[in-house]
Amino acid sequence: MHQILAAAAYIVYAVFGLRLIWHFLLWTRTSQAIGNVYRFKQKTSIATIMLMAIDIISFRRMMVASGPLWFGSLVFHLSFLIVSLGHLRFFTEPVPGCIQDLQSCGLIAGYLLPASVVYLMSIRILSAKNRYLTYHNYLILALVFGISATGLLTRTVFKVDLVAVKGFAYGLLTFHPGLLKDSYLFAFHFALVLFLVVILPSHIFSAPLVIIEARRREQELNMVMHDK
Amino acid sequence: MAIEDTQGKEGPDKPGMTPRCGGSFTGNLSAMQLIELDACSQCRECLNVCPVQEVTGNPAVSPPEKIRMFREFIRATAGLKTRFSEPKEIDRRLLEDFVKAVFECTTCGACGKHCTVGIYTQRLWPFLRKEMMARGLVDYTVLTDMPEAIRNTGNPYNLPAADRYRPWLPEGIFIEERSETAYYAGCTGAYTAQPMVNGDVRVLSAIGEPFTMLKEEDEVCCGFPLFVSGQHDMLEALTKRLVSAYQEKGVKTLVCSCPCCVNIMAREWPVFYGRELPFRIMHITQFVLNALKQNRIRITSELGERLIYHDPCYLSRGVGIIEEPREILRSIPGVELLEFEHHGLNSRCCGAGGAVRKVYHDNAMAMGRLTIDEAVAKKADRLVLSCPACYGKVNEAMIGHDRQIPIIDIMELISGLLERKQL
Repeated sequence: MHQILAAAAYIVYAVFGLRLIWHFLLWTRTSQAIGNVYRFKQKTSIATIMLMAIDIISFRRMMVASGPLWFGSLVFHLSFLIVSLGHLRFFTEPVPGCIQDLQSCGLIAGYLLPASVVYLMSIRILSAKNRYLTYHNYLILALVFGISATGLLTRTVFKVDLVAVKGFAYGLLTFHPGLLKDSYLFAFHFALVLFLVVILPSHIFSAPLVIIEARRREQELNMVMHDK
Repeated sequence: MAIEDTQGKEGPDKPGMTPRCGGSFTGNLSAMQLIELDACSQCRECLNVCPVQEVTGNPAVSPPEKIRMFREFIRATAGLKTRFSEPKEIDRRLLEDFVKAVFECTTCGACGKHCTVGIYTQRLWPFLRKEMMARGLVDYTVLTDMPEAIRNTGNPYNLPAADRYRPWLPEGIFIEERSETAYYAGCTGAYTAQPMVNGDVRVLSAIGEPFTMLKEEDEVCCGFPLFVSGQHDMLEALTKRLVSAYQEKGVKTLVCSCPCCVNIMAREWPVFYGRELPFRIMHITQFVLNALKQNRIRITSELGERLIYHDPCYLSRGVGIIEEPREILRSIPGVELLEFEHHGLNSRCCGAGGAVRKVYHDNAMAMGRLTIDEAVAKKADRLVLSCPACYGKVNEAMIGHDRQIPIIDIMELISGLLERKQL
């Protein structure tokens, strides 16, 4: 079983890497000067850069657009980040102290993550204004719920052999994945993660760039028709 | 009058051209626009502010749906899979659905303002339209006939250049041959919103600063209708022709009242001209407000009315002119200035935008009537506008509507209130 999972992991991440590189190439191959925007402000100040960072980290634009959605998204992304950082203990040897310290937070985040998914799904379904979602939106949310729920189960109810899990995960990096003894729940959890990587929306990489550009444009708006 | 295309014949729809359903869909987009298409998370928040959604309730023409469809076109023709298999040709019906969706948009930009990642939609839609035009998939003749009309008459309405000024330019207004200040009337104002441009020149004349104008046959279209409809081939020629003409007259400040003209002049002309413009672009409200503050004109007549001001999309969201019209209106003695629920940067479109008010007439009427209804509900005495397209469409929307409100352009209003000796 571990060989199948390992092979799947290598293939999925290789294709993911190719996909990212292809996206980047597609963006850089375009050189339509006419499509480019005229800049009213040539230099970006430190204050603007800080505001750009705040926009990305705090999801400010989403907060302005929809408070309830913003709250759910922030909890979702923050808990996802903490859980992911906590998982680094499976890929590092020795485990850095900061990652060890994250473990208790990681468990709390592990509960918040599926709860935030349920919250986001609910406000989508229940709000009359948030209709017209595609199946893809629901699929991603359902997948993340499945990943977080199975992950939580492996930590709480159906505890897995963490040594074996680390042997497998760490071994993936060194191309010597360890044995996974009959850990079907973990295998399912891992398979769901790979599925998520396959359908991972690329907007998570491009959105920060657009948020930065949007802040720059907002700062420039007063300069379009007014003296510098 | 003939205006040449200087960018080559890469593009627009030509009669008899077989529509192209394959090939790259990225050739008319910049890198940032491609990134923007990718960045849409399909969160659907923009549906809450889209005026077309408000009047149609049709998700098939919504902003995220347009982006999703175009993304699929790119994936099918240039995605990673195409390295290993033949790129597909897109089903023509899908392309036609996309054309309908992208051309039903008023390009008001409310979606982009509200967007949770900040996609610059007001500028993205014209470039997606450009791609569809280049493929010969657009058959809205009111749009595809525009380049020829502008080539022949200098305006998209195909009306005689000789009639550009004559019907509305007041007698007794002196126009200099050369001046540092110039006034650009614009096609929509000159041909379809004449009280507006009449008010403009009356106020300019009252200010007392000499100003110049191009001759009727020389004041050609600024290019905005072509830009917004995705027909960009003539834009460089139009831009260079107008910039040179004003430069020859020694112009340092070009004043205009049409928000769409001001938008393309300030944002796109430098791109098509290839460098910074040799003169500054000013909206007429900026110019008039300066004159009021410097006491070069005075509003002495009292107007005990409740006025409600509608922010044109391309003036507020487009170029950030929000306070100047309000300051002018507040300076009128006796005026109470009311606000729409959605005003300023969040202004709701009146339905006239996107160059498609004649194609999607019912949508435009419905949106215009929403504007009228809100103005009436707020018990305004008059609805003040600052855009010739809004002026024409909202007036048209009032015909046969059960709610009525007098409509006036801001300069039309001001010109009637200035100290008598100044007029």
